[in-house]
Amino acid sequence: MKHILQVLKFEYLNCIKNKAFIITTIILMLLILGTSFVPAIIMDIQKSEDDGEPTGDVNIIGIVNNAYDDNTLVEKIFTKYYPHSVVQVSEESVDELKTKVNDSQYTFAVVLNSPISFTYITKNNSLMSEETMTIAEAAKGIYRAVNFEKFGVDYERTATILDAPIVYDTVTTGTDQTKNYFSTYILVMILYMAIVMYGQMVSQSVVTEKNTRAMEMLITCAKPTHLMFGKVIGSGLAGLTQLVVIIGTALVSVKTISMKSLPEGLSDILTMPVSTVVYALIFFITAYFIYAFLLGSLSSLASRSEDLNTLTTPVMMIFVVAFMIVMMSMTSDINNTLMIVCSYIPFTAPIAMFARIALSDVAFYEIIISIIIQLVSIYLLGMLAAAIYRIGVLMYGNPPKFNEIIKLLKEQHKTNKAIKSKE
Amino acid sequence: MELKVENIFKSFGEKEVLKDISITAHGGAALGLLGRNGAGKTTTIRIIMGVFFPDKGKVLVDGKQIDRNNIRIGYMPEERGLYPKIKICDQLAYLAQLRGMSSKESQKACDKWLERMSMSEYKNKKLETLSKGNQQKIQLAATLMCNPQIIILDEPFSGLDPVNAMLLKDVIKEMIAGGAVVLFSSHQMNYIEEFCESIAIINQGKIAVDGRISDIKRSYPRDRIAVTSKDFEKISPFVLQKMPDDITDVKNDGENTVVIKMKSPDFKNRLFAELSQQDFDIDCFKVCEPSLNDIFVQYTEVGV
Repeated sequence: MKHILQVLKFEYLNCIKNKAFIITTIILMLLILGTSFVPAIIMDIQKSEDDGEPTGDVNIIGIVNNAYDDNTLVEKIFTKYYPHSVVQVSEESVDELKTKVNDSQYTFAVVLNSPISFTYITKNNSLMSEETMTIAEAAKGIYRAVNFEKFGVDYERTATILDAPIVYDTVTTGTDQTKNYFSTYILVMILYMAIVMYGQMVSQSVVTEKNTRAMEMLITCAKPTHLMFGKVIGSGLAGLTQLVVIIGTALVSVKTISMKSLPEGLSDILTMPVSTVVYALIFFITAYFIYAFLLGSLSSLASRSEDLNTLTTPVMMIFVVAFMIVMMSMTSDINNTLMIVCSYIPFTAPIAMFARIALSDVAFYEIIISIIIQLVSIYLLGMLAAAIYRIGVLMYGNPPKFNEIIKLLKEQHKTNKAIKSKE
Repeated sequence: MELKVENIFKSFGEKEVLKDISITAHGGAALGLLGRNGAGKTTTIRIIMGVFFPDKGKVLVDGKQIDRNNIRIGYMPEERGLYPKIKICDQLAYLAQLRGMSSKESQKACDKWLERMSMSEYKNKKLETLSKGNQQKIQLAATLMCNPQIIILDEPFSGLDPVNAMLLKDVIKEMIAGGAVVLFSSHQMNYIEEFCESIAIINQGKIAVDGRISDIKRSYPRDRIAVTSKDFEKISPFVLQKMPDDITDVKNDGENTVVIKMKSPDFKNRLFAELSQQDFDIDCFKVCEPSLNDIFVQYTEVGV
């Protein structure tokens, strides 16, 4: 036990003092501070765009009307939908429109081919653009106005009936997925990245110890099991320290910078319930131990950093798959069968269960069962990892194949038994 | 203090690495552990250190099963191993603490040993910034810091300049004089002869020969006499004429020396008497002993 604490302390301090580690932390902190300004800046820009009277730069929309006799109606209704732009109805040809759009004389152009079809001409079509929908609405407005007129109905009056604005409220009795979606998304991302990062940190540290033969000295001072547990816990604590610093920065900056400048609706998504944060912490710890034990013990079989990839990739793949499943389920049904199964498999449970808890109502006993499964797995994996580590640390040359590991483990088990029975 | 390794067997899978190894080392003396590469030296050492368990056999200290929690062992592996990117004082203190020192004691011991190795100025440097020889000195400091009762040194002198080698020799001699049990493994026979009273040669997992070096050398037939003299050219015809039946061969061996091979070692005193009665200017008269190198090669050549 004393040895574990000594190794833990040494590993922790070395992690914390490591230059790369400090630089990563600082960069992440700056990034978070930077991004917390972004919503405020975006809001500012949008505001000035909304308020701004079209001063120097006038947005001109070119329209060619091939559908109706009346140009003024077309102009009137388009102006209603684009109040800050100049709507210019002309007799230009499609090619002329294209040139003008391309030369940015027109923001965009529309050719009304018939009352119910139009061509939208734009320079760059952005993915998120909703321009065509607005134009369709405008075209529909013209169509309605013309046809209502035909039947002798006053369009102005019916328009208020047809487009009556509906106001609504949502009352959630369980978990509000829309409200927690953003924060959960961020936390799942952090969980995933942290585990990958700290898992690799443990891997690297094990291989370095072997590669520099520091292990030759260590192994004579302490038991390999103690060395491994000390290292895994020490690195984990260092990781936790980094996370606390980064998340702390994020919370403070969100509270002081973003919240003030954000409208209420948007600031909602940045607040998360305390219980969610606590669960994130619990599942970070379980996930860390599950993956650190696996990665640490497998890394002990490598003699050089180059061998690491071959050994750790399968484990990493499992984790990536778990992450993908969670990410995909988050946008559809978070409680689908796959997610429920995943939340009880130790390798996927930490992030799957966390996402379910954050985005839906999960019965408390389900959470407890999942956590117990994870704790038992950590214990078993710890034992297995210790056994592999004992074999690995003094093994040099090419990393052994899977069946060779099994064989060595069996042999070791036999010797241990023999020694115990002798004692 | 007496360290005894008794009838150790060890296999890795199918491969039998150690077959009945027994060695005994005493406090205040160094035991040379010799053997070719892969003979089983490191495995033997690791069993003593408790890294491997033997399949059969025991490691005893003063007749009792070794208790590694109460006996301080210092080990310097052949493959030097320390952290290249960590401050020297930090890693020395860490290793000392793992061996049971308190934080304060380890700091003190660190200062003391860096001073002893004349390395104090490097205390806060990273190991990788040091030259190979200096790293070696740090490695020895790491080995000796916990004031070990049993010291195991695997090729401690490789890569050292003569001045540093001298420093290290003094330190090791000091530890031996202080009563520590020293196991010394090296392929540089001159160091073995300098430090060790006894040796054990391991060949293919078995002890090929062990005992005091002087005894082993004496066990070889002592029937050759080397005589060094200015008059060596006169000596060979003289002895051949005086003792024709007792001497089988006389050879010139280098400058001013003749090697006389007798039929039996018993004729040594007669030869000495005959030569001393003459007016030869004799510098040296001695029995030709095999060198440690010869002994090593003889016992470890394949098939022996």
